[in-house]
Amino acid sequence: MMPTAQRETRPRRNVPERPVTDGTIALANLEAQIDGLQWDREPGSRSNDESIALVDLLILRGLILGRIVDYGRAEEIAEQLVRAESNNGAAFLARARVRAVFHRFTDALNDLAVAEQLSLGAGGVNGERAAILQALGRYDEAHVIREEAAERRPDFEAIAALAGLCADRGQIEAARRLHAEARWRYCGVSPFPLALLEFQLGHMWMHCGQWDEACNSFGAALRLVPAYAPALGHLAEVEAGIGNVEMAIARLYPLTRASDDPDYAAQLARILCEAGRTSESSHWRKFAAARYDELVAIHPEAFADHAAEFWLGVGADPNKALPLAKTNLGLRKTPRAYELFSQAISANEAVGATRSATSLQARAKLRRRHKITIN
Amino acid sequence: MSDHFSGPRALSDPAADISDVFAFPAPENPQHLVLIMDVFGKAGPSALFSDAVIYRFRVRPVSIALTGQAASYAVGADEVAFDCVFDLPTAQQGAATPVQQGHCLAPNGETIPFRVNDESGGSGNCVRVFAGQRSEPFFLDVRMIEKTVATRQIAFKKVGSDTLFGTNVLSIVLELEWAKLLKGGPMFAVVCETLRSSKPPVRIERVGRPEIKNVSLSWKMFDQINRDLEIRDLYNSEDAFKVSPDYIGAYRARMNANLAFFDTLDGEVDWPLDKQGNHPLTDILLADYLVVDVSKPFRGTSYFEIEQAMLKGRAHVTAGGRWLNEDLMDTLFTLYVNAGNGPRINDGIDGPIAWSSNVFPYLAPPNPPKGSPS
Repeated sequence: MMPTAQRETRPRRNVPERPVTDGTIALANLEAQIDGLQWDREPGSRSNDESIALVDLLILRGLILGRIVDYGRAEEIAEQLVRAESNNGAAFLARARVRAVFHRFTDALNDLAVAEQLSLGAGGVNGERAAILQALGRYDEAHVIREEAAERRPDFEAIAALAGLCADRGQIEAARRLHAEARWRYCGVSPFPLALLEFQLGHMWMHCGQWDEACNSFGAALRLVPAYAPALGHLAEVEAGIGNVEMAIARLYPLTRASDDPDYAAQLARILCEAGRTSESSHWRKFAAARYDELVAIHPEAFADHAAEFWLGVGADPNKALPLAKTNLGLRKTPRAYELFSQAISANEAVGATRSATSLQARAKLRRRHKITIN
Repeated sequence: MSDHFSGPRALSDPAADISDVFAFPAPENPQHLVLIMDVFGKAGPSALFSDAVIYRFRVRPVSIALTGQAASYAVGADEVAFDCVFDLPTAQQGAATPVQQGHCLAPNGETIPFRVNDESGGSGNCVRVFAGQRSEPFFLDVRMIEKTVATRQIAFKKVGSDTLFGTNVLSIVLELEWAKLLKGGPMFAVVCETLRSSKPPVRIERVGRPEIKNVSLSWKMFDQINRDLEIRDLYNSEDAFKVSPDYIGAYRARMNANLAFFDTLDGEVDWPLDKQGNHPLTDILLADYLVVDVSKPFRGTSYFEIEQAMLKGRAHVTAGGRWLNEDLMDTLFTLYVNAGNGPRINDGIDGPIAWSSNVFPYLAPPNPPKGSPS
């Protein structure tokens, strides 16, 4: 199999003008799809396929609008489906998707194994499996699946997934090339897949400190779907980083109202704090803190990483961050998880916490496994 | 909603997902032909037409080429098309929700503007257009169809459960003076398409007959040749009037296998296969367009009457096509299972939540959301 770095891609050329549905129409229609499928007047009149579609639509809306409540609803429906259809592989696949959203990766992989056995085969579940392996930091295993899928059927989904994997691994040139190829191959009219693709690239640029490129990619995602909450949130983060503080704040305020994800309130609190607006910052810090506590209690795996980041930052409680960062590292061994745990240890030491044996062991392990410089 | 969820690509944008096509002479004016395309099955109140999609009605003159076992049509080359496109919705004074404008480009070059959800529609020279949300006219019990296939026994109950009860669709209705706008006649073949509005436009979906891609083509397990092939995206990408030879074998194999399965459901063989294993209905169903004869009188139950007459070598007596209120699933199951040689198969659903009317825009107004006062 040809490695990604050597993959032949389509000639580099401008992507032709291929209109997609306006983002506001697409979002109204996403709402309409969800409403329509949830309307059913007679109990049980929704088919299994429609229930599975509803799970996917709720996950999509949760992703676009930053609505955790949608993920929760998707989880309920997926659980109902599996209970009602214990021989239906597609039901297990749907539940695996939701479990992956909530970072319940082991449970999700177990569901995929069942789905594979029941009816879907490896081909039916491997895309989802690769996404989970990627989230777990098991990049080599994910790469084998992604490469194979792209070789077998080099369509938008396969190439975009490979681009996302390269982006996560920091393989910038490969990610950029595959991103262009994915755009070239897109033949749908929904703007969501393209917006997600642009966001993925923006995320990569942000993590490697290429602010202009990140702004361009997040901007492209927002031109496709203006209400795309994570793109707005990340764009605000980049803007604040390059000094456009007021613009960042203006972007974040509406998000704190529209989304039930505390990330935006946390972000706003941090930026306001850095801008010296301590009173406002304090309000949003408390708001985010309460929400993180609430979510960590319900979905500890899903929010351990972001909550740890919050407590290490504007939340200013490293003691609270440490167990969360440890939980997160226990779930997935990604570079980011190691880095977060390392930061949590350092922050605890900095505030005079006892250098416990656990801490020392953890630091030594981190040094060995991830070559992190820990002061 | 006989074609809803008909393939992965169609699903990527619900506003491009054609759920049904209807074609019939206007019940109160035989000089008028009515063409209807429904998209976005189970549409919630916020549903809008896409601004990146062309909603196309294609009409060609057609004649009967052969009758008997090899019944087939000869489709003429003189095609006319009506293209409907939609703007971004805009806020308007006095309107609770944003208003969307549409435009229909008629074959005579005229562009007819209309406002979405305006029941009076837009009018041009010899054509009238409506677009908007309406009550779903189709009715069926999907669960019992799935059960029938899973258990390989007819599973319909005396009183079924309408999967589409109380749901809505986005409809586009054209009423046209066929003698002035169409070429040839009096028999016309009608197919509806959604296309991405790029240059050149790219076909997303096409629909002619009801329940071809879902009931007739979607089940893979009976197909011994292409058991693992999701055939519907390929099928959608084809020109209904000129199916390429590349995949016709795959469509035929799938259709033969599934129709043969339906024929087993009453324990009798009503549709013996030919020596090549072809089901007698396969080719006429793969001629996937609605054929309507505007010289014949409107009748409430006319779907496939022309084709059945062709198969039996007699003259047809109805306009054919497809009328909104027809109990299509009963007609279809009776055709597939016993060829009309046995009792009519009843799926236990005899009508939609609201009947369509005999006057423009024909389809009933949309249903209120669940829990709202009706």
